Amino acid sequence: MAELSQFVITGVTVGMVYALIALGFVLIWKSSGVANLTLGQLVLVFSWFTYGILVQVGFPVWVGIPLVILFALGVGWLVERLALRPLIGQPILALITVTLGVAFFIEGLVSLVWPKSVAALPRLFHEEPIYVGAAVVSQEYLWAAVISVILFVLLTLFFKYHRMGIIMRAVADDQMAVQACGVPVAKVFSRSWMFACVLAAVGGILMSSIGGITFGLVGTGLKAFSVVILGGLDSFLGAVVAGPIIGLAENLGGGYLTPLTWPGVREIIPFVIIVIVMFIRPHGLFGERRIERI
Amino acid sequence: MPTGIRSYNYAQDMAIFRTRAHWVWLGVLLACLFTGPLYWGNYWLGVANLIGITIIAAMGLNILTGYCGQLSIGHAGFIAVGAYTAAVLTNRFEMPFLVGLICAGFSSGLVGMIFGIPSLRVKGFYLAISTIAAQFIIIWVINHWTPVTGGFNGMSVPPAQIGRLTFISQGSQFYLIMIIVMIVVFLAKNLSRTRAGRAFVAIRDNDIAAQVMGISLFRYKLLAFFIGCFLAGIAGSLFAHWTGFLNAENFTMMDSILYVGIIIIGGLGTIVGPIFGVLFIRLLQQLITQISPVMEGALPNLPAGFTTGIGPMVFGIAIILFLIFMPRGLAHRWSLVRASYRLWPF
Repeated sequence: MAELSQFVITGVTVGMVYALIALGFVLIWKSSGVANLTLGQLVLVFSWFTYGILVQVGFPVWVGIPLVILFALGVGWLVERLALRPLIGQPILALITVTLGVAFFIEGLVSLVWPKSVAALPRLFHEEPIYVGAAVVSQEYLWAAVISVILFVLLTLFFKYHRMGIIMRAVADDQMAVQACGVPVAKVFSRSWMFACVLAAVGGILMSSIGGITFGLVGTGLKAFSVVILGGLDSFLGAVVAGPIIGLAENLGGGYLTPLTWPGVREIIPFVIIVIVMFIRPHGLFGERRIERI
Repeated sequence: MPTGIRSYNYAQDMAIFRTRAHWVWLGVLLACLFTGPLYWGNYWLGVANLIGITIIAAMGLNILTGYCGQLSIGHAGFIAVGAYTAAVLTNRFEMPFLVGLICAGFSSGLVGMIFGIPSLRVKGFYLAISTIAAQFIIIWVINHWTPVTGGFNGMSVPPAQIGRLTFISQGSQFYLIMIIVMIVVFLAKNLSRTRAGRAFVAIRDNDIAAQVMGISLFRYKLLAFFIGCFLAGIAGSLFAHWTGFLNAENFTMMDSILYVGIIIIGGLGTIVGPIFGVLFIRLLQQLITQISPVMEGALPNLPAGFTTGIGPMVFGIAIILFLIFMPRGLAHRWSLVRASYRLWPF
């Protein structure tokens, strides 16, 4: 029983972080229709940048984290301005592959600047674990969940009440109509990339404070794809619900299936879920079912 | 086609090599290619072999993505399926090389078809994601199915052998690989002109319209996946025999992305495209591996990861720049060059 509750708590909290990263994807997809396949590499580069700021330069956490957020905003702006903006209106194949090119570039950049393959962030949270019933949870997990929930709430409020949030929803609904109303749509694309990068950065910091910085963080970003596929590409609610589901499936599966199959089965559970969802319900749990016309 | 050349029957009209000049250029190209082992060193022969293998794989991805429009980011995974099939058959069951080669093609093709089934309902990004999933699942299975694939320890592969001929040296493998490359290029060129090839293009341009016109999406999309992955399997088999030692590290997601980059840089939906793309990427790789130690020697305060990091950065930039400034790739540039040559001095 202790085992079960341990898996459930770990799964749900890690799943929240996946959901956070996935929200960044949904944001870009909804506003500009671009599939951001760079997520994994973005998570990786922001985690390493955090390492660089906090460990190599030695800033305290309360200076370092805002710097990372600023860096993430800058990266988002640059990627959109340099790679995506020139390709507005191009076929979807070009839009997907350009993000792959960015992914390639970032991966090279990371191994150029930080040739170490493994590193650890300094402790951001208290060390002593917390006992929840029979389960022992280290504080990183709980903080990850709390921060994710806070960001969900902030984002929801932003989309509901802030002018930019309302514009973003409008752009997602009908780009032409919004442009006709005099809203600079390109600026909205740029903002959504910046926000997505911040979400990836926060997700990266949370994940690397749990498990250290490795190339596995790219996999964390890729797991966010299974979240968006399961939840539905264009649904914020879908991402928030599907995140913990993926986290749960991963941890429960990893816990109980490993004796039956090979070790390391948890790494591919999200990908197996992708394939199953593709076969059964490709638009996901909450996604909009698209009807195409010629 | 130069002016003044007329076709008097259908066979002439459909011929790939139509004028005497074409045949002469073909002869010169083949002569240069097949005397290559005489004056290229062993190192560059190895590079040429890798280029040949990559051309076969890229040709497959080009049929799938360039002609049929189904984006696949799992090509390295499908190549791995072929490579390991060939390795298991020739190493553990001691089958002949050619049996391994064909079986590698078929096993990759079948695995590709299974992961291609979602393409009937989804496209674009969804398909990209499901092929990424294919990539990870395949590599995971290879890494953990230790009794068969050797797992993380990898597995050794005997050299290719046809009858009494054993292809051990780079020079002998060069002939084997180049002959297969030529067969593949010839078949791909002809495929693009058959009913299936035209159906692929129709599906790429608008799949609903194609379906309305009576093209069975089920049949042709899966056929495209089968052919694309079949060629990946052939390439994988040749790669296995060429390196002699297989490890899942050879087939990462980055390689899959690189294949997409190759056909983008070469030019989607053309036959010469993948060849140009592979030459560009592989020669760029060589340039980087030759130059970066020199640069590290000349500039002592470069960061330590310069050699490993600079390659991916350059490829990423190349992919982005080609997409923005030359979206039709090197193949289009090549056709412009040919046109200006023909029309010279106008």
